[in-house]
Amino acid sequence: MAGKAIWKGYINFGDVNLPVKLHTAIKEDRIQFHLLHKRDHLKLRQQMICAFEKKPVPTEAQVKGFEVEEGKYIIVDPDEIEQTAPEDSRMIEVREFVKTEQIDPLFLERVYYLEPDVPLKGYDALVGALKEMEVAGICTWAMRKRYYLGALQTGGKILRLTTLRYADEVISLKSLELPDIPLSEKELKIGSDLINRLTAPFQPQKFENEHQKKLQSLIEKKARGEKIAVLRPRRLKPTAPDKLLQALEASLKKVA
Amino acid sequence: MQGIWSGTISFSLVAIPVDLVKAVDSGRVSFRMLHSKDYSPLQRRMFCPEEETMVPPDEIIRGYEIGPDKYILISDEELESVSPERSRTIEIVEFIDMDEVDPIYYDHPYYLIPSKGGEKAYRLLVEVMRRTHKAGLAKFVLGEREYLVAVYSSEGALALITLHYREEILPDEDISPKKGKIEDEEKSRIKQNIRKMMADFDPGKYADKRRKEIMDLLKKKAKEKAPVEAPEMEGEEGEGPADLVAALKESMRKVKKNR
Repeated sequence: MAGKAIWKGYINFGDVNLPVKLHTAIKEDRIQFHLLHKRDHLKLRQQMICAFEKKPVPTEAQVKGFEVEEGKYIIVDPDEIEQTAPEDSRMIEVREFVKTEQIDPLFLERVYYLEPDVPLKGYDALVGALKEMEVAGICTWAMRKRYYLGALQTGGKILRLTTLRYADEVISLKSLELPDIPLSEKELKIGSDLINRLTAPFQPQKFENEHQKKLQSLIEKKARGEKIAVLRPRRLKPTAPDKLLQALEASLKKVA
Repeated sequence: MQGIWSGTISFSLVAIPVDLVKAVDSGRVSFRMLHSKDYSPLQRRMFCPEEETMVPPDEIIRGYEIGPDKYILISDEELESVSPERSRTIEIVEFIDMDEVDPIYYDHPYYLIPSKGGEKAYRLLVEVMRRTHKAGLAKFVLGEREYLVAVYSSEGALALITLHYREEILPDEDISPKKGKIEDEEKSRIKQNIRKMMADFDPGKYADKRRKEIMDLLKKKAKEKAPVEAPEMEGEEGEGPADLVAALKESMRKVKKNR
């Protein structure tokens, strides 16, 4: 079953005004740990401590500040910040359409499923149009006191809305300033051959969260009082630059 | 560049030492919590409610709750020994065409940068993945979790995106539209609208409005009143991470170094 409906809105562009309900699409199942005091195994709590007095500070004595310079703050009232929050407008405004393949995965944040709301007319038509033209709608909307940028796309028979990061939230790859190292045509050819040999169709059902299962069994072993062998991870020896061609050739031989 | 993890990425018999770094930085305006008495910054600390004292990171252990107040304790070493190879190596087991990946699988992005000695092999992987238009599929363990990841080549560097597992993606059949009338005319009209609104993908066109409004508010306040000053703190007390996560990561790093 899809996640619960968290919001209702209207997809709006041209003469399209389509009512939809947003549902969460991902459910992460994780083993949760508590943080305990080693000495007495008591569950710890988070507290705000004054850096100066080294003592806990109650909520009534806490204020929010924006650091303008080291050690200097502008105090803000939570109500003042509230005032800057947008009103929920229910309009998911499509500003433009782009070819889906142009959207770099670095910009994708959180995906929601869109369920058609009444009246139902037009939903299937929009799904069909987006799918056949292979495009996504770039949208803006205000939800739960925040402004969002997103991509309206199809997924199977339904519409999906994925929030997008703003441009300045993605760190530019050029800023990494990686060195340009020359490579021989031979290294590149063998490397490419190797990759093509190791290529398989994407079948996500092949992959399970094995670590989660092993973690579960570790917990069960300890609960039974069994001794745990602590294995130390080994680091693989890095391939030296002058041994790279050799490693590639040996790899290709291995998969042939 | 802030390093999150350090290890090796491998494919077949080639091993490349790398560091995992952030690819994204939240644009949200961050505020500091301060003591209203004297405007000293506050820090989040773990506190033992019984003994009423702060507890430093090296006195903290993680526990899995199996009953009321009953815990199984797991140390950092035990946690790492669950999947020892995968906590140090991103082993690419196969390559895929990223066009085959439904974008719903994408979770969180990072970048990989080469560490000393790995620059050439790194460059090779970047270049051959670009030429063949393929991405590497691997599993690796970071902290308490194992991730399925896609490593791909972009602008001369390696990006790594964690993927959701299949079972984490909720089914959508129950909210799918039931088979109704075919809406061909409506569809044509929509396509016409779409054609008029086509553009190239450029997220730089859109700015975070909320951030701008908060910054405008702050600028206004800065003009009305001078900022308050926190008391001077001696070197030692001023140090220390502002939150627990950084503290725990630091203590884990120390444990690893001492091996």
